Amino acid sequence: MTEILLFAIPALLIILGALIVVFAKNPVHNAMGLVLTLTSLAIVYITLNATFVAMVQMLVYAGAVMTLFLFVIMMIGVDKPEQSRKEIKGQTFLISGTLILLVSIIVYIGLENGLNWDLLFPESENAIEGTPSLLASSMFTSWVFPFEVISILLIVATTSALALAYEFKKSESND
Amino acid sequence: MEILILAVVILPLLTALFLKVANRFLNELLTNFITINAALLSVAVSFFMFGYLLLDKFKPIKFELFEWYPSPQIIFEFYLDGLSGVMMILISGLSLVIQLFSTSYMSKDEKYTKYFEYFNFFVFSMLLLVLSGNFLVMFFGWELVGLSSYLLISFWYEKKSAAKAGNKAFILNRIGDFGFLIGLMMILNYFETFNFVNIFESVLIKQPSNLDLIILFLLLGAFGKSAQFPLFSWLPDAMEGPTPASALIHAATMVTAGVFMLVRVSPMLQFSELASLTIIGFGLLTALIAAFAAINQHDIKKVLAYSTISQLGFMFIAIGAGAYVAAIFHLVTHAFFKALLFLGAGAVIHEMHHEQNIHKMGGLRKKMPITAAMMGIGTLAISGIPPLAGFWSKDEILASVFSKGGIYYGFWALSLLAAFMTAFYMGRHWLLIFVKEPKNSLENIHEAPKNMTRPLILLGISTIFIGFINTPFFHGLEKVLEETLHHVEVTHLPKGLTLAVLAVLSIGAGFTGLVLAYLIYIFDIISYFKLKIPFINEIKNLSKNVIFINDMGNIVFVKGLKSVSRRVAVTVDAMTIDGIVNGISKYFLQSSKQLSYTQTGLVRNYVVYFGLFTLILVLIFLISPEALA
Amino acid sequence: MSLRKVNPMIEVTSDWYLTLSAILFSIGFLGMMFRKNALIMFMCIELMLNAVNLTFITASKHLGLIDGQIAVFFVLVVAAAEVVVGLAIIVSIFKKQESASVDMLSSSKG
Repeated sequence: MTEILLFAIPALLIILGALIVVFAKNPVHNAMGLVLTLTSLAIVYITLNATFVAMVQMLVYAGAVMTLFLFVIMMIGVDKPEQSRKEIKGQTFLISGTLILLVSIIVYIGLENGLNWDLLFPESENAIEGTPSLLASSMFTSWVFPFEVISILLIVATTSALALAYEFKKSESND
Repeated sequence: MEILILAVVILPLLTALFLKVANRFLNELLTNFITINAALLSVAVSFFMFGYLLLDKFKPIKFELFEWYPSPQIIFEFYLDGLSGVMMILISGLSLVIQLFSTSYMSKDEKYTKYFEYFNFFVFSMLLLVLSGNFLVMFFGWELVGLSSYLLISFWYEKKSAAKAGNKAFILNRIGDFGFLIGLMMILNYFETFNFVNIFESVLIKQPSNLDLIILFLLLGAFGKSAQFPLFSWLPDAMEGPTPASALIHAATMVTAGVFMLVRVSPMLQFSELASLTIIGFGLLTALIAAFAAINQHDIKKVLAYSTISQLGFMFIAIGAGAYVAAIFHLVTHAFFKALLFLGAGAVIHEMHHEQNIHKMGGLRKKMPITAAMMGIGTLAISGIPPLAGFWSKDEILASVFSKGGIYYGFWALSLLAAFMTAFYMGRHWLLIFVKEPKNSLENIHEAPKNMTRPLILLGISTIFIGFINTPFFHGLEKVLEETLHHVEVTHLPKGLTLAVLAVLSIGAGFTGLVLAYLIYIFDIISYFKLKIPFINEIKNLSKNVIFINDMGNIVFVKGLKSVSRRVAVTVDAMTIDGIVNGISKYFLQSSKQLSYTQTGLVRNYVVYFGLFTLILVLIFLISPEALA
Repeated sequence: MSLRKVNPMIEVTSDWYLTLSAILFSIGFLGMMFRKNALIMFMCIELMLNAVNLTFITASKHLGLIDGQIAVFFVLVVAAAEVVVGLAIIVSIFKKQESASVDMLSSSKG
């Protein structure tokens, strides 16, 4: 029973947060909804034995990324209404088509299996604990190359953000 | 001994180079000193070589300068036999005389030294051509001759017509040279050597199956260089050059290069019936057309130019009939009397202050008696009046053609007609310049300076006596060429009475022509008897425009090619190729324009597309799970 | 699976987590479609990325392999990079036209 509760309560909070993200008018509320979702997800991760990932989720997502978001929201201003030009041609048609497709897929799956997804692989008997040592032993051996690549990506992103946001003064020699 | 051949060739080249280098330090006197002395030396060496050759019974002398290419072996070599000996004497001798004349004619010209530089360069090229020991060296001379001719035609390039004439000569010569070059390639391909002697010996043993073709290509080169129909129209235009240069290049020597070449290849030529008929046919056509055209020209030099073409036609007739000795004989005599006529014309032009229209002259014989007399000799010689040079050579050609029999009787009759026309237009030429009552006053006209009249007298005397080198009674030239032509079947003159009758007919034709010219242009028989000749104006017009050959060439080649290429440009290029390319690009442009409507630039739109297609992907996996595996 | 149906006790299986992930992803996707504010669209992207992360971790547990969790790290880094660049773009756009609405941006229109 605890198991179910440990799943259900965070799951409900996740969905609630997600809905707030989508439907709230005030950007600050949206951000708060996102924080709720991310935090609840961390709990779910713990129930899934991924403790280290849960911690990183809290620190990086709910902490750093959300701070960045809030900073930008504050910088831009929260009271800007959503401006829109005239309706995009064919947009309604496309959206309704997509929604119909989505609903029909859900209905199809529901009718076919209920909540039982017919997974290709059976559940493993081997229970693992996502400790930092286990993660590191894999990440710095077999995953070391992607790890290096992703670090380069991060550096590039940082530099480009700098280039985008920083106003370079035109040097006089250029004229 | 052999190295003296090189000396003959290289002497004019060194002179030209020296004049080029020292151009700015030379005044007229110094230039004269250098060039005349060099020419004298050249003549001396030439005569010495010829004398040596004579004493050695015309045994060919070879001189190999260096090996050029090992396999197939090509040697830069020279070859002196009777044929090239005659040409060598002719070229160096005439060039000396004409240079003497030029010192006076070109005097006070800004580019005096440059003229002699080009002149010597031409002499070098021509000597290289005639003394060459194989086809490749000959081709060198052949091309250099074309180049120096171009330089001299457009010598006064400030005049637009001169520059144009130079271009025309060069381009028409290129057409011929193209044929010559192909002929050379075929020769190398078949015989694997360029050496004359080797080729001719192998021709005698085994004849290549495409001998006709080789000869025809070589013939194209000869037609271009010797201004035969249909490549002759450059020669009248070439008269834009200085008159002495015209005398040497476009009358006496260069244009005879084609004749020389054909006589040189006569061991091959004799086996090709087709080529012989082509040569005689085109030669006859050229002789007639050019003679007809000369009748109504008003430019003093153009009459002589057409006359040259016509006489070259005679030489080709002789070659076609197999009378190679007669062809070379006529070449020699023609060189003398045509040089004489040209130099005379040059003297007249010089004294008339560059007036060239013969209708504006007349009565000059009293003012310029020596010139008149000398040009009279030239006129009589070209008309075939004995005992002057032209009679002997022309009569030999006519008699040789006649002796071949069959269809050649017809050729003979037409040649006789051409000879008659020659006498007629040359008579008209001389009479209009020297005899007819002058229209303008001639007070300021004097006899030409001594530097001009002396060469004229020299040439005049030569013209009288040069004919005796090869008469039916004394076969001098035939002996000279014997060694050259000893494998070749040469058409000989008929014997006895036939020859006498033919000679009388030939003299009659010349005489009638001259008398007719006198009657029409001086006595004015047409208005005296109120004769009405039908179509006289049309005929005059036709003659003046050279039967519209230039215009026909213009229409066929220039306009025709233009319209064809324009049509090709429109249909093939613009419509087909551009059409395909443009069509493809237009198709892509249109379709991409259509597709670009989906690029709204709106992010939300893209999001929906992204979602839609992701869902479609999911659907596919759901429907067929195998796709996942 | 039939074994599970016999058992009357309801057990939290991988299916549940996957369903949660699907719902989260769908909500994020709907937000992407309907909202016009660039910032909120970014948040929706974060929602979708987290849905994917959840899937990875579920798979990691289901298969008993650590690799799923490592993939989560990579996704995390990519998300962080994306947020950094995206927000920088938004800031620089905002400096120009005082709006964060994506509909105002259509210079890449064909």
